[in-house]
Amino acid sequence: MSEQSPQEITQADHELLVQGVVDYAIFMLDPRGRVVSWNGGAQRIKGHRTEDIIGRHVSVFYPPEDVAAGKPARELEVAAAEGRLQEEGWRVRADGTRFWADVVVTALRDDTGRLRGFGNVTRDMSERRIAHSALGESEESFRLLVQSVVDYAIFMLDPEGRIASWNAGAQRIKGYRAQEIIGRHFSVFYPPEDVAAGKPARELEVAAAEGRLEDEGWRVRADGTRFWANVIITALFDDGGRLRGFGKVTRDMTERRTAERALDERSRLLTHLVHAQEMERRRIAWDVHDDTIQSMVAVGMRLQLLADRLEGPDASAVRRLNETVSAAIRRLRDLTFRLRPPGLDRDGLVEGLTSYLDQVVTGAGLAYELRHELDREPPSETAITIFRICQEALTNVRKHAQAKAVSVSLSSSGHGVLVRVADDGVGVGDPADVLATPDHFGLIEMRERAEMAGGWWSIRGRPGEGTTVEFWVPALAAGGEGGRG
Amino acid sequence: MNARRDQDTLKELLTVLIGDDEPMIRDVLSEVLQAEPGLSVVAVAGDAEEAIVLAERHAPRVAILDVRMPGGGGAHAARVIRDRCPGTRVLAFSAYGDAGAVEEMRRAGVTEYLLKGLPNTDIVAAVRRVAAGR
Repeated sequence: MSEQSPQEITQADHELLVQGVVDYAIFMLDPRGRVVSWNGGAQRIKGHRTEDIIGRHVSVFYPPEDVAAGKPARELEVAAAEGRLQEEGWRVRADGTRFWADVVVTALRDDTGRLRGFGNVTRDMSERRIAHSALGESEESFRLLVQSVVDYAIFMLDPEGRIASWNAGAQRIKGYRAQEIIGRHFSVFYPPEDVAAGKPARELEVAAAEGRLEDEGWRVRADGTRFWANVIITALFDDGGRLRGFGKVTRDMTERRTAERALDERSRLLTHLVHAQEMERRRIAWDVHDDTIQSMVAVGMRLQLLADRLEGPDASAVRRLNETVSAAIRRLRDLTFRLRPPGLDRDGLVEGLTSYLDQVVTGAGLAYELRHELDREPPSETAITIFRICQEALTNVRKHAQAKAVSVSLSSSGHGVLVRVADDGVGVGDPADVLATPDHFGLIEMRERAEMAGGWWSIRGRPGEGTTVEFWVPALAAGGEGGRG
Repeated sequence: MNARRDQDTLKELLTVLIGDDEPMIRDVLSEVLQAEPGLSVVAVAGDAEEAIVLAERHAPRVAILDVRMPGGGGAHAARVIRDRCPGTRVLAFSAYGDAGAVEEMRRAGVTEYLLKGLPNTDIVAAVRRVAAGR
């Protein structure tokens, strides 16, 4: 053995190696496709013993339909022409059973280029195929499941935050159809104030760093209305640890939040306090109206009578006194309007606001426009909340905006009322800065009133573009009964 | 003769009824109107029901009614007076100037709405205007 040349050792070893391989069928065909060699793997995989198979045509391994279609001969032609052919397909074992094969056919040529035959390496892929196919089916089932879920918006974002997939729940909750939203940045779902504050990007950063992020907050539907969302963002990484994107699951919690708020002890107390405060204001307003103003009106009329009977400086002095009384009456009347516009109780929100606008806003030299599209009069608690926030917003317009005109719009929206108070003044600037100052123009009170009622509130106003206060409150009757129907 | 002359004088006088639950207002308004030539306050009522009764009795040319007063309020009184005394014109005189209150009185047939606190001369002018049907 020690005299054997390195080449002989190599060839002998190679033959052993090929024979010993059991995971691959390795065999040779002559140029016409007949089997001329056969290894252990071929016997194991295909079930033919060497003595049974040598000399038989390769087509014996193919299903009858492939044979009928001329596939075995064609594959040899392709291998001969191109040097090599790889294929996956069904093959037949000696016992007639089939297996899924990965086949590589290599054309073997001598130094002169003459075709000597073909090498054939076949691997049984059945198990892998079954596993793969099962995975494929479960992936498809999962995809269909996600597609059809309507209670949750389930969708994917690419690493930059652009929407990559969309389901029925997302369409139902957010109001966009897939073709409208795919490819857009997910920040469209956030209120403008959150976008300005960089919240969408920050949420992705946190999700990428920590793997997951859960958030509750207001989100915006396609039609501009808002809903209270529970959001879970999950970062998706590939095997190499590279960020592939984000999975996002969003649930509409608006009704639950409103119900919880109504039941919440603190909310009850605050609602009670607001109610008590309103009753007290109304009582004071009536007292001032029915008693103080009446008395002063009588005094003024009597002073005029007196002035008519006097002459010279005495008459002038009494007339001036009457003017003072008249001015005091006007101020008292303004006070009662601020305390409680009588129209609000008698004729509802729109009339109450109209009275206030006529009296206070027009009185300040401002033009106003009031638009309203309300399905029905909101319950009185809701009307009061809306009125008070409008009042605060309009006070700011009068005192700070340097505006010429203000428009107020009321519309029914998502079981509540959406209100916008927009002026054409100097613009409030960055809301975050304004809210942070001690003299925040009642912005915090406005927000608290809206949030206490289970709604939301926002302000925007870039310098030179005027200021817009926008808020929504659910139209709920006292005690948290749903105002839907 | 005297009775005959009084009748003639009454025909030329512009008769007024005042309905207001605030005595100070009733008194001073009465004085203001009474001081005007050709105007005569023929009745003063403290609530809506009284205003109706007195209006029927006196058939004044003008009834000046407060909006908020006992006995059904100024709107109720105005409606009944307009119905029972077709010759009487109603003028509202109110501390409330809101659109709802104004509209409520207009629907009750009130031709003019005065906000309390106006100069006396404006009140007198309004009474004459209403009486003239302008």
